[in-house]
Amino acid sequence: MKWYCPSFLLCAFLSCTATDKTHQNLPDLVSYNEHIRPIINNRCISCHGGVRKKAGLSFLFPEDPFTALEDGKPAIIRGQADSSKIMQRILHHDPEERMPQKAEALSGYEIALIKKWVDQGANWETHWAFLPVNNPTIPSSPSSPHPIDRFIRAELNLRSLQANPQAEKSDLIRRLYLDLVGLPPSLETVDSFENDLIHYEQLVDRLLAAPGYGEKWTGMWLDLARYADTRGYEKDAHRDMWKYRDWVIRAFNQDMPFDQFTIKQLAGDLIDNPSTADLIATAFHRNTMNNDEGGTDNEEFRVAAVIDRVNTSYEVWQGLTMGCVQCHSHPYDPIKHEEYYQSFAILNNTADADRDDQAPTLIVYQPLDESRADSIIQFISGLNPGKNKSRIKQLESDLNELPSASLPILTELPAKQKRVTRVFERGNFMLPGEVVRPTLPAILNNQIKPDSVSRLAFAQWLVSPSNPLTARVTVNRFWAQLFDKGLVATLEDFGSQGNRPSHPALLDHLSWKFSNDFQWSVKSLIKYIVTSETYRQSSNASDVQLKKDPSNSWLSRAPRSRLSAEAIRDQALAVSGLLSDKMYGPSVMPYQPDGIWKTVYSNLQWVTDKGEDGHRRALYTYIRRTSPYPSFITFDSPSREYCVSRRITTNTPLQALVTLNDPVYVEAARHLATFMENEPGTLEVKISRGYKRALIRDIAPKTLQTLTELYHEAARQPASEFSPLMVIANALFNLDQFITKS
Amino acid sequence: MDELRLLQELNVRKLQMQTRRHFLQKCSTGLGALALGSFIGCSDSGKPLQGINPLSTKLPPAFAKAKRVIYLHMAGAPSQLELFDYKPELAKLDGQECPGSLLEGRRFAFIQGVPKMLGPQYSFKPYGQSGTYVSELLPHFSKNVDDACVIKSMFTHEFNHAPAQLFMHTGHGRLGRPSMGSWITYGLGTENQDLPGFIVLVSGGKTPDAGKSVWGSGFLPSVYQGVQCRSEGEPVLYLNDPKGMDRNLKGKLIEAINTINEEALDTYGDPETLTRIEQYELAFRMQVSVPEAMDITKEPASMHALYGTSPGESTFANNALLARRLAERGVRFIQLFHWGWDAHGAGREEALNMGFKDRCKEVDQSMSALLTDLKQRGMLDETLVVWGGEFGRTPMRENRDGKVMTWIGRDHHTECFSIWAAGGGIKGGIAYGETDELGYYGIKDKVHINDLHATLLHCMGIDHEKLTHSFQGRPFRLTDTGGKIIPGILA
Repeated sequence: MKWYCPSFLLCAFLSCTATDKTHQNLPDLVSYNEHIRPIINNRCISCHGGVRKKAGLSFLFPEDPFTALEDGKPAIIRGQADSSKIMQRILHHDPEERMPQKAEALSGYEIALIKKWVDQGANWETHWAFLPVNNPTIPSSPSSPHPIDRFIRAELNLRSLQANPQAEKSDLIRRLYLDLVGLPPSLETVDSFENDLIHYEQLVDRLLAAPGYGEKWTGMWLDLARYADTRGYEKDAHRDMWKYRDWVIRAFNQDMPFDQFTIKQLAGDLIDNPSTADLIATAFHRNTMNNDEGGTDNEEFRVAAVIDRVNTSYEVWQGLTMGCVQCHSHPYDPIKHEEYYQSFAILNNTADADRDDQAPTLIVYQPLDESRADSIIQFISGLNPGKNKSRIKQLESDLNELPSASLPILTELPAKQKRVTRVFERGNFMLPGEVVRPTLPAILNNQIKPDSVSRLAFAQWLVSPSNPLTARVTVNRFWAQLFDKGLVATLEDFGSQGNRPSHPALLDHLSWKFSNDFQWSVKSLIKYIVTSETYRQSSNASDVQLKKDPSNSWLSRAPRSRLSAEAIRDQALAVSGLLSDKMYGPSVMPYQPDGIWKTVYSNLQWVTDKGEDGHRRALYTYIRRTSPYPSFITFDSPSREYCVSRRITTNTPLQALVTLNDPVYVEAARHLATFMENEPGTLEVKISRGYKRALIRDIAPKTLQTLTELYHEAARQPASEFSPLMVIANALFNLDQFITKS
Repeated sequence: MDELRLLQELNVRKLQMQTRRHFLQKCSTGLGALALGSFIGCSDSGKPLQGINPLSTKLPPAFAKAKRVIYLHMAGAPSQLELFDYKPELAKLDGQECPGSLLEGRRFAFIQGVPKMLGPQYSFKPYGQSGTYVSELLPHFSKNVDDACVIKSMFTHEFNHAPAQLFMHTGHGRLGRPSMGSWITYGLGTENQDLPGFIVLVSGGKTPDAGKSVWGSGFLPSVYQGVQCRSEGEPVLYLNDPKGMDRNLKGKLIEAINTINEEALDTYGDPETLTRIEQYELAFRMQVSVPEAMDITKEPASMHALYGTSPGESTFANNALLARRLAERGVRFIQLFHWGWDAHGAGREEALNMGFKDRCKEVDQSMSALLTDLKQRGMLDETLVVWGGEFGRTPMRENRDGKVMTWIGRDHHTECFSIWAAGGGIKGGIAYGETDELGYYGIKDKVHINDLHATLLHCMGIDHEKLTHSFQGRPFRLTDTGGKIIPGILA
């Protein structure tokens, strides 16, 4: 062992781990974002990031690794890998000293990459999502004229995968209807489409113009807006929020450009001459929870609401996990602790303050009374108050008699009452620190940092061309609704811990088109996507596809995804003919089992709506945060306490119990059975028609045989109120293909 | 090391085979990935494992003492000063004004002005070989003290019921985090695939203040949320067959559904379809196994006498007996809530000298019976039983608007409260932690809720720092950023 020498061992180590093969595969130019950042994020940043900076080293901000550490030397010397401490530590022979500490060593390839990167000058790059959106060149090659298909197929070619042919027409029309309006098509429409009496593009236009379009997409938005009909916390008392939900439906149906949609919700009260609708939009940020328990400090819960507004705004529009920065600098993204409170300061001056009366509120009317209320108000304002005193009094009392609701909204405090914002140490409002100004995080705002940013300016900045994230995050959300998975799988996190986009150029192409060519029109974006062949292909998976791309990241087939909680119920009501098309208004209470709402300190009662209101679309169902509608929760709908970007789909026996036994589905089965009963023809024809009505496609012979046998089995039982055809309908509601979109 | 791993994997395979169909064979994802990847909770990708039953039993950890938890929560927060924390000095100060130093800068839910001190309302005696002090209100439980560890130095940060209950059950005082039972079933799965892994039973007429969020799964997949079984009506929502649906026919129906679903599986190769087929079979089995497990009329008369049950009602005694039945059947986490402990003294039902006594009667015999019963069946060693509220009560008598009230009560108190734990991994016959002479502050071995959670997870064989789930960009755990195991209470 006399020849022992660390550098010899070091060489030996390098030569045996970084084999010739890995050296050959090294890129000519090592890119920080593509090659180095993933290594740093996975292996280094949890100890050398925004929270922990062991030995004073952080990899978060570009200047960090090049400045001297606690021992006076920097971790990286540009161009000199051999003299850089980073190399010495990742190659160290002593396992106690070798980085990453107490973890597996970096691979030979990773080490070789880092070495080459440092030797090439250690060029730092900004995280991809913070770079401006560019308009990438559309791949020229394959046959399809649609740019989306060209981007997708360029990637498929690289992996020797082939796109599937178009789905069968019946599957395609069902998919399109469920995606665009959240409901299945009628049999008549299916027939027209199958017989070429109506073309695909015509269907798309028809659906985009249908009232159901707004209802379907509002469902997605309400998860982000954490919309509910109650206040949360202990009492979880009622609050009138439904007018905001109606505003969102109208906004989608009118195709309000997304930039306007953003500005109105965040700062509708601050735009010039705001309309009533603009004020209603600001209820977006009044969906925060409200605590009216005895002895609570209103300031504590006002602060909690503002924190939630900051976190929600950044998650919805920027795909950033600002919640992390509440207590300390972001561990993974270059956002500093004080920058969180600079954003907090922007939203910290609204007049609401966790009061029991929810003030400030806006008096709003039910849909049918709206025009009457408007005309009375207009008429009064035209009268001379001196001359028409008694008439005005009469009209005002008429107005007061109209059933109204108080919608909590945002209003800004007058200049004199503005609150001073301080950093809260470790996120605790009892520990106020330095005073901060309302302004934007530096990493997202490469222009001059303004000294003071208003709530309106904040909203405008989110949808300005200089913001790199809003368009990307938004098109990704719509894409994910249509393809089950985002181009960035982590819809909620575009930061460095989120997934990288599977198709970065396509994401930028869509983002560019959305904010430029389409002028933020959501309908144009959706039409653009659903007219691609990628969207229209079949979802059948061959063994090759399953082997090469088990999770379908490259989209050589259409995804299969379970329907949402809302769509499962709406679909059953629709195919059984029970669904009401009544829109808007206060939330409804359809059947739910007795004894669900046994909560304390509250008189709130579930009073089951009879008639039409018992069969409204799921979107209108009353949501109580501490006890949401049970069958929706079973199918993974959130309880709306906080913003949710992505529902996690589960697959549980309780779901089976809902669609098998819940009286809602039993009633629907009864009505679908009546439909089958009334179809002329043999038993086989009746079952086939019922199947087609529920599943849109034609029944396969084997399926028909199985269901016919089930019918005869049921017919052998003593007669009961569960008729044999009801049994068939009950089976249809529980088929994998019924609750799945393929 | 490798040998241990092999042994553990073998064990898992054995458990897997016990399920009715070893459906993983058909699935492309290997068993090894499930067994070794997900157990210690390192799999924080945020995605449920597709095509794999998320509740299948996961690796039984080597150092686990307990296999399951029965958690008895007394919603409303019982007074520690009337039950476990004996304060003779406080008795001497009864009726005197509370010293200003105890009031300065403090917020109470109701107390205003200067309240009077309130001595213990009941007598205490040492019991068992350990000489643990217990109040006269718990004559049955006093016989079990040598099996239990009374922790007197619990404290919390939340002084209202809902946030305090959330803190106790989710480790955080706001809505949205997964509950203890969700974390544990997420980490360990469950042993009986015919029953939910996390079952909740409620008595006292009302659900806890924080609603169902105290057994919610927060940001974990919803499959891990507690399933509330009810003593009245259907034991699980939508469990009963609809009117006119015959059981035999239901079997045929499920068979037909699964036959057609298997065709879909062949066409689309979607692992979710495979899981769905399995879940329909489980749902069908649950329709029988849940009512069977929930039917206490099958118990012999001696058991009813031991627990003091009244079949057909939703009483704590019935639920305690049910807890034992569910534990026997391999349910991982069983949680009981009993409402009505909020003894402010603002009314008869919530007075220390009235309703509070009734609450003690409602739980004393049956919680003692539960320990006795588990012990005689040899199950106590592997079953961790915990009893407690969400915070404590003040050593001062409550006033309203500064005025003395007719009934006697105490306000909410965060500085100290008592709980007890017994069985699986816990040292019996000890009192842990101390409070000051007035019972106002914990002064020795204070136990934070995160510490309690870390210790419970430890008894279940889970490293609380490793059971994590990534949400909104960072890994979360039950103990969040805190939690230290309490060696002093471990067996």
